[in-house]
Amino acid sequence: MRSDAFSKYHPLTNFVFFLGAIGFAVVIQHPAYIGASCVGGALYLLLLKGRKCRNMLLGMLPLVVLMAAWNPLFNTYGEHVLFTVFGRPYTLEALCYGMAIAGIFAAMMLWFSCYSAVLTSDKFICLFGKLIPALSLLIVMVLRMIPNLVRRGKQILDARKSIGKGVGENNSLKQKLHGGMQVLSALTDWALEGSIVTADSMRARGYGTARPTSFRLYHMTLQDWALLAWMVLLAALVIAAGGTGAEYTPQIDIPRPGWGFIAYCLYLMIPSLLHGKEAVQWAVSISRI
Amino acid sequence: MKRSVCINLFTWLILIPLTLFLGTRLTGRWYYLTSTLVIIEAMLPFFFSFETRKPQARELVTIAVLCALAVASRVVVLIPNFKPTTAIIMLSGIALGPEAGFVTGAVTAFASNFFFSQGPWTPWQMMGYGFGGFFAGVIFAKRRAWRNPAGLALFGFFTILLVVGPLLDCCTLFTTGSRLSWSYAAAVFIAGFPYNLQHALACGATMLVFGKPLLAKLDRLIVKYGMMDARKEG
Repeated sequence: MRSDAFSKYHPLTNFVFFLGAIGFAVVIQHPAYIGASCVGGALYLLLLKGRKCRNMLLGMLPLVVLMAAWNPLFNTYGEHVLFTVFGRPYTLEALCYGMAIAGIFAAMMLWFSCYSAVLTSDKFICLFGKLIPALSLLIVMVLRMIPNLVRRGKQILDARKSIGKGVGENNSLKQKLHGGMQVLSALTDWALEGSIVTADSMRARGYGTARPTSFRLYHMTLQDWALLAWMVLLAALVIAAGGTGAEYTPQIDIPRPGWGFIAYCLYLMIPSLLHGKEAVQWAVSISRI
Repeated sequence: MKRSVCINLFTWLILIPLTLFLGTRLTGRWYYLTSTLVIIEAMLPFFFSFETRKPQARELVTIAVLCALAVASRVVVLIPNFKPTTAIIMLSGIALGPEAGFVTGAVTAFASNFFFSQGPWTPWQMMGYGFGGFFAGVIFAKRRAWRNPAGLALFGFFTILLVVGPLLDCCTLFTTGSRLSWSYAAAVFIAGFPYNLQHALACGATMLVFGKPLLAKLDRLIVKYGMMDARKEG
């Protein structure tokens, strides 16, 4: 991942931001708000991942179109009938509603992708490590073991192949299943026996005698508190301004967006603006050399 | 013990009904947020009792290995779309008890989504997989006589097909529909059926072939290193 200014903030600040962004995206049905959320999420994702997310964005498009189109098949409320499908009316209002739902879905997926990129596992553990110490230790161990076991599994597969016991494309399903289960069996033994050594080592080093510490230390700085306060203020403005409700069926009723909408846009732009600011500062300081 | 009962009662009798009550007051697509909140709340008692039990290092590492194994198993079996994940979760529920089974399932779902992507489906997957492990533990943990390959396979097949799969479909239903209706629900469940069937077959096949060996391995581990004694002592 590239350098990203927002990711360098405290995990709590990051988490609260995504809680707000995803929470708002889920409950607000106003089309302007949905559009803003999609644009904000897509922009930040592009800044975070660059070209790598292009396939994901393009792959999402047909899904969104399909979702918008198939929703009216099950929702026949509305006044303007466009045509009938299987004897059921396909209405303009329901189509608009379907588009809104698809937009909400797209916004949610975009923000969740950003969340996954920013709130890495170590940040999650830092946030919840004190609240759920045993579970977060468990998650850390699992995250470390997954690549480890995948690597060992491939070693076993290779070893079996080299003694002529490998399974390939021309084996039957049953042979593949049995071959796979034998590898799985070997992998299980390897991993479980090792686990006892790990556990004894943990005990010898004093597991359970004191509070666990985390790998990286995060401290809430003044900057974090300031950003957090700014986020809470904007979120409160969005809620206080209201006007976020919109009705689609049976009649389309969309209120004009007011100043709450501006607050919402500002909220969603926080990570992208921080990213942009850092990029500009970097470019300026490079040009001075 | 008593405290966990209190937490359970509090969750099921106060927290969840309150969420449902307040949730239905929201206009528009209330079921969307409400259902996810209820799913998360339903998991809390399990996590709470796991934390308060202060699991020993050996139990913790064993659960971690089983979780990682459940994720890594997808790479090992060279059949496309074949996921032994849920079968391994169920087997750990059987060997280590329902509570550990739930934790194995929930942590597996959560951790594997760090490699794929977290999404609106994460809580649902955690609940679905966790329930699989829990339910297997409830049925088989104390009944050794029932643990024959065919029984395990049938259990795995039907639990996935009738409970875990539809639970995951509910997530699709709530996140993609504009209006809850029986016809839409039927469409989602019918569309999800082939995937659930595939998933259920994979789970059943793994249980049939791998069920007894894995249970034997885990039992041997428990006896060899006295894991259950350690749990009883504290």
